[in-house]
Amino acid sequence: MANENLNIDDVRKLAADIGLTRLTDAHLQELLRATNAARARRTTLGNHTLTYADEPSHVFSLHTGDAT
Amino acid sequence: MTDLAWLTVAEAAELLRGKKLSPVEYAKALIARAERHDPHYNAYLRATPDIALEDARRAESEIRRGEWRGAFHGVPYGLKDIVDYSGLPTTAHSKILQDNVAKADAVVTQKLRAAGGVFMGKLSTHEFATGGPSFDLPWPPARNPWNRDHFCGGSSSGSGTATASGFLPAAIGTDTGGSVRNPATMCGIVGMKATYGLVSRRGVVPLAYSLDHVGTLTRTVRDNALMLDLIAGHDAQDPGSANRATGGYTAQLGRDIKGLRVGVLRHFYTRDMQADTEMTASIDNAVKKLAALGAEISEVSSAPLGEYLACNRTILTSEAFAVHEKWLRERPQDYGALARERLMAGAFVRAADYVNATRLRRKLAAEFHALFAEVDVVLTASSMDPACRIDDPEALEYTYGRQSRAPFNLTGSPALSVPAGFDANGMPLAVQLVGKPFSEALLYRVAHAYEQATPWVGQHPELA
Repeated sequence: MANENLNIDDVRKLAADIGLTRLTDAHLQELLRATNAARARRTTLGNHTLTYADEPSHVFSLHTGDAT
Repeated sequence: MTDLAWLTVAEAAELLRGKKLSPVEYAKALIARAERHDPHYNAYLRATPDIALEDARRAESEIRRGEWRGAFHGVPYGLKDIVDYSGLPTTAHSKILQDNVAKADAVVTQKLRAAGGVFMGKLSTHEFATGGPSFDLPWPPARNPWNRDHFCGGSSSGSGTATASGFLPAAIGTDTGGSVRNPATMCGIVGMKATYGLVSRRGVVPLAYSLDHVGTLTRTVRDNALMLDLIAGHDAQDPGSANRATGGYTAQLGRDIKGLRVGVLRHFYTRDMQADTEMTASIDNAVKKLAALGAEISEVSSAPLGEYLACNRTILTSEAFAVHEKWLRERPQDYGALARERLMAGAFVRAADYVNATRLRRKLAAEFHALFAEVDVVLTASSMDPACRIDDPEALEYTYGRQSRAPFNLTGSPALSVPAGFDANGMPLAVQLVGKPFSEALLYRVAHAYEQATPWVGQHPELA
């Protein structure tokens, strides 16, 4: 996804693609603001500090009792 | 006798146990107080005076028979309305769930009922613990008891308002990005988000599974520790629950803090964000007070606040959208505008960004926990600003993200908001104390020493 901000037509199409088909124009404006803010936030995530060895905080693991 | 509205849990317990106070008279006094004042404050979404009186009568007969169950026997409490109480609606302050009648008690509710607590009602929240304060919901938002034209914080807004207003001495809230500590800060009371997994979340409407905590709001540190003693504990049916011994949270109260190492995380509120000058001054004064009590003060540093906040929001919005996607498809018009916008923020977060945020979370948490090799407790700001007006959307939007609570939902650390004075307008100020995982007893010890050395705990709002 490109870094430039989306417009209302972009977000209407994206919303329809994931089944958000009942949003009014006012709802779509909310979605546009929220999505652009979320995209801007991506640039402040400290991803550049991660190496491939940094695992997610919720790596799946089994306990002894889970074995069958 | 002391004004019943301002009895602490500890004081009430002593009077109730000694049969010097009737649970029924106590409950009636607080019910009457809420009936008189709450129409101006909206702390209760659904008051339950009939249940309260039934609970109080039962407690009275049990105590009369010598069957005292402990500190909460006969003591009034309330639940944020995302916490289930069997047979009552859990609305999450939303039209979406207005007919959602709970089939069972949440685990925290079970524990409060088993302890003989007197259930006063369900308390206002921001819609689904995220969208507020909002005026386009079936119920109005709670207001600040220190000035009803001001915001009381949230999302556990009714829990903060009811406790600070003397409608009850203790309430349950929840905290995913700061929602227990924010109303505690704004209302001048004590709010604890304990270590992730210490308190069961079963029976609580989720906002973001990996960040959600159940927490406690009270007017004193001791009461908070008593309430955590009651509700903490392993729950095998909560996948996030920590399987370890709990309790003993009052054990260190009254001990001095000489030699304890307090690390001030100053760059959060002076460099990464610039806190309001009165808030900064109150934090500086708290540091001086702790030093005067014998604590060893040093300055500590961590990753920038903005990095924690971006990480928290990426995870929170992604997990919350997963919870709400079906309703947002089918009933978007039934949300308030604020909740809808905040929940839809997760709609197009890329999978890689969510995974990277969880990777960053692990790294941030490890770095933060490493600080505790050098210090025992970290002190920082809770909110950057005192409560703004509730009818000023721009001020609400501006102050909403100006906080340093969300980092500790990421790290899972115990974090406590403690009153630290008032600004020139009479609105509460606060500091936040943070500990290493499962160090709640130590946090309460430091907070209690500070509370006992300052005059804030005895000050109460004059209600309209």
